Formats: sequence, C-alpha cells, structure tokens
Amino acid sequence: MQHPVFLNKRSVSVYFGLWALIIGAHFSIFYFIYYFPIEVSLADSLVFNVLFAGVGISMWYIVRYSIPDQKNIWNVVFNHFSFLTLTLVVWNGLSYTILSTIFSSNKVYMDLLMVSIPNKIISGVIFYIVIGLTYYLFIYYINLQEKVKIESRLRMVLKETELNMLKSQINPHFLFNSLNSISSLTITNPDKAREMVIKLSDFLRYSVSNNAASFTTLEVEMANIRRYLEIEKVRFGDKLLFDFKLEGSCSTHQVPVMLLQPLFENAIKHGVYESTEQVRIDMDCEYKDGYLEIRIVNDFDPNAHPRKGTGIGLNNIRERLRLLYKNDKLLRTVVEGTRFTVYLSLPNTGSKTV
Amino acid sequence: MPLRTILIDDEQPARDVVKHYLKDFPEIEILGEFTDGFSGLKAIQELKPDLVFLDVQMPKLTGLELLELLDQPPLIIFSTAYDQYAIKAFEMNAIDYLLKPYSKERFTQAIQKALSQAGTGAKASAPVQNLVKTLEENPEFLQRIAVKSRHKVTVVPIDEIIYLEAEGDYVMMHTKDARHLKEKTMKYFETHLDPSQFIRIHRSYIVNARFIDRIEYYDKENYAVLTKTGAKLRASTSGYKILKQVLNM
Repeated sequence: MQHPVFLNKRSVSVYFGLWALIIGAHFSIFYFIYYFPIEVSLADSLVFNVLFAGVGISMWYIVRYSIPDQKNIWNVVFNHFSFLTLTLVVWNGLSYTILSTIFSSNKVYMDLLMVSIPNKIISGVIFYIVIGLTYYLFIYYINLQEKVKIESRLRMVLKETELNMLKSQINPHFLFNSLNSISSLTITNPDKAREMVIKLSDFLRYSVSNNAASFTTLEVEMANIRRYLEIEKVRFGDKLLFDFKLEGSCSTHQVPVMLLQPLFENAIKHGVYESTEQVRIDMDCEYKDGYLEIRIVNDFDPNAHPRKGTGIGLNNIRERLRLLYKNDKLLRTVVEGTRFTVYLSLPNTGSKTV
Repeated sequence: MPLRTILIDDEQPARDVVKHYLKDFPEIEILGEFTDGFSGLKAIQELKPDLVFLDVQMPKLTGLELLELLDQPPLIIFSTAYDQYAIKAFEMNAIDYLLKPYSKERFTQAIQKALSQAGTGAKASAPVQNLVKTLEENPEFLQRIAVKSRHKVTVVPIDEIIYLEAEGDYVMMHTKDARHLKEKTMKYFETHLDPSQFIRIHRSYIVNARFIDRIEYYDKENYAVLTKTGAKLRASTSGYKILKQVLNM
C-alpha cells in the first residue's frame, strides 16, 4: 500500500499545508499573545512542528504493520505506546537542545521552554492520535474498496457460470433428438416411449430446480447422470455402454449439483457422436486423504476431428471449483490412446455456501 | 417406376420414424439404411438412389460434408435437430429439410416435393427468408473440409491447411504433406473460413495466419508472404492491407 501522504501532489500539499497552518497558529500565539520577539516565536513554532511533521510521516510504517485484530490487539497497543514514548522523548529532547543552543541568553524564553514541556507532551499525544487515526481510516477505506471490487467480480463470475450451466442443462441438440426418439418409440414401443418421457422429465426437473451453488450427494447426482445416459442409449443403442462403481462411503459425499453432468456430456459428444465404434463410459470413485477422488473414463476416436472447440465445459467446471473450493487444480484430464480420463478431487471440507 | 430411396442416420429411432411414415407411400422403395457418413456415401455411389433421407449430425462425415462430395447428388431431404444448419442445407440445393421431431403432415409435404421434382431434373430451392436471420446470428465457420480423390475420402481439419490456391474452377488446399483439390470457389472459402485465421491476400491465395513465417518485398511495390513451409505467396495491395489489419501490424 502506498504512503497516503505521497499518493499524489494534492496529498503532499494537504499534509504540509495543514502543518503550515499549525505553525502559523503556534507562531501567532507566541508573537501576539506572549509578546516574544519574532525570531523566538518563529524558531519555537518551526522546530517543534517541523520535527513532528517528520514523525508523522514515519508513523505510517508503524500503523501499516500494526493492523489490529482479535489476536494481536495488545501487540498493537504496545507498539504504539512504545513508539509514542520514544517519539515524545526524542522530539522534545531534540527541540529543546536546538532551541536552548540558539537562545541560551534569553532567560524568559528558557524558563518557558522548561515549564511548557507538559503542554508539549499533551500536544504531541494529540498529534500522534490524530495522525494515527487518519492512517487507520485510510487503510480501512482502501481495504473496503478492494473488498467491494473483489466481491462484485465474484458475483459476476458466479452469475456467468450459472448462465453457462443453464445452457448446458438444456442442450437443444440433446432435447430435440430425445423428443425425436420419443416420437419414434410411440410407434414402435409405446410403453418405452412413456418411460422415456418420464426419464426426460425427471432429468429436466433436476437440471432446472437447483442452482449452481447448491450441493447434493454423489448418489443423487449420479442417478441423474444415469437417467441422462439411459436417454442417450435409446438413441444410440449398443454403441453406448456405461458402468458406474459407487462404493458406500463415496455415495454419501456432498458434491456440487450438476458438476459432473458436463463431463458425461463431453464423453457423449466426443465419444459417441464422433465415433462409429462402440464407446464405453466408466466411472468409479474412492475416498482418500479427505478427498473424494472421482474418475471418469471414455473411449474416443482420436482421428475424428471435432467440429467444435473442446474445453469450454472443462473450463466451466474449473471455474466453478475455484468459486466453491477456492482451488482450480482439482480437475485433471489425461489422454491415452483412445481413452480419455478425467480425474476430479473434491475436498470433504468444501464450504457449502458461496 | 418407384422412387428408390436410402436412409442415412446414425440413430435407430430416427430411421424408424422415416420407415413408418413411408409405409403410406408405396411409390417409394427403400433400398437400405446406413448409419454413418462414409457407408452412406458409398451406398449413394453404388446404389444410385433417386432420393436420400440424410441426417446432418453423424460421426466422421456429416450429412453436409457428404453432400459436398457428390458429383451428381440425388434428391436430398435433410433432417436435423440443429436449426442453424437449415440455411446451409438450402445453399446445397436440398429439396427440403425436416426439423426433428417432425409430424407426418410435414413429412408428407417433403415427400410430395420430392415426387413432383423426381425425373424433372429441376431442383427448386425452398423458401429461405426466415432462415437468413438464423445464419447471421450463428456465424459458424468451417472446422474441417472433406475431400475426395479417386479412391478415398479424406477429412482435412482446417488447422492443417497452410494455404489455399485458386486453380481454375477448383481450389487447391495445401497441407504440410499433401495437396487436395476441392470443387469450390475462392469466394466460398473466403466466406466460410474464419477471417481472423484465413486471410485472402491475393485473388489466387488465402493463407492460414498461423503458418505465416514472414512478409517481405516481392518487387518494388508488392509484398509476398512466406509460409513456415517455405512457400512464397504474392500479396496484392488490398490483400496486404487486410493482412496488416488481421495481424495488427
């Protein structure tokens, strides 16, 4: 953080302008009220105040590194108390030495210099408090601004993610092709058509009824993905195979709603849509060192040149993980021949609110 | 004489619908069903059907790419769940397109168009007005180009193309280790390739910006683009202007 006095030309002139006013007032009291000679009045007001103006500038470094919180409040008090004591001693001592050297012959002034020490101490304490508080106020203001900026950015990103998610939930391609399958099944197998309408409805309901910040168990999330893959299986028949291995402790782990869905959509899009061979999608999970480790493997044809850019779905997931767990290294992908693998690690301690 | 037809769609339920609807049209004979672009292409070349029901979204070779490769295309009825392809289907003189799922009435309309056009040789283009907007809202550039040599079909990803060169009524696509001839105009590629990547630097050249090595003087007034593969392509004055703009020079 920059020194508030040296932020710009204005802050410099305000600081020294204020000290000029104080010097003027101090001088006026000595000259007009106590009738001290002009050179004495001038020297007294200049020496004391210019020295403290210097102290005021260096005080920033004490304030800057003594930000109080619940734990270190006594540290902060101690820091200020010691620095204030030191300041008062050095400031008064130095001023006294300079002035008494110059005006040693002026008996009246020398007496005043001695008796006015308590006043000087009081004004020193007041200067110290005013300057210190101003600095704290400045830091508080800057931090507040920063916080507002970060908060508004986070809100924006979250909103974008939610919008993106909404897009992937109601993928028109998936929806219309599924409806076409249903239309076909009404002719060849009405019972199966009804079953598929129910599956599609359940899938859509799950997709629209949760927002990007809510959590559910892995079991519930996977049940919805199973519905999705069963709908796709009606379209693609034996070309699509899938198998999930959900062990006891995994299935109750909390996961963000619809986090895994785009991964399976990718597997379908780059696997099943682009391949003429059979495509297998396998999913398993284990609980390890406080993390839920999920692995999703699918076949794909490396020679099929995808018509549309990849990675948008993965980046969305990374962004969501960053927002939810403050960590964007939880997702990893590996390509091995014709197998594409996604590794996902979800911390157990993940905050459940954003 | 019946109208001979084949179905090309990778989804069984989608083919079932067409077959079911066609039961009421004894004048149409189904020769076969095919589940991907390559087998469909082969079937069209061997069976020479009069009418093809062609799905757009298929693995390896899309319906649109397939149609591009046909020298004498039969009557085509496209079907797709993607609205944004409709306009392209018309550019390619399909007689109709069906948006999945479609009704029997809509299907019957398409069949009647096919029946009335069969044998006349004429290919009327269908109304386009409300589709133009769709295209403008969804500018989609080519990601790959299917080309056909005497014996095989190759799908070339556009990122592998170094430059395109006009060659009479054809365009020669130069990749790192091959050249492919495509029956298209330079204008077609200029409008269908992403202009931030593919720059029309000359009447005869479109260059992939990713493969530009340097630009130097060709003669006193003109510039030439040197590709990373060592080809030297002349740039026209207007081409050089576009080049400067795109490359931010």
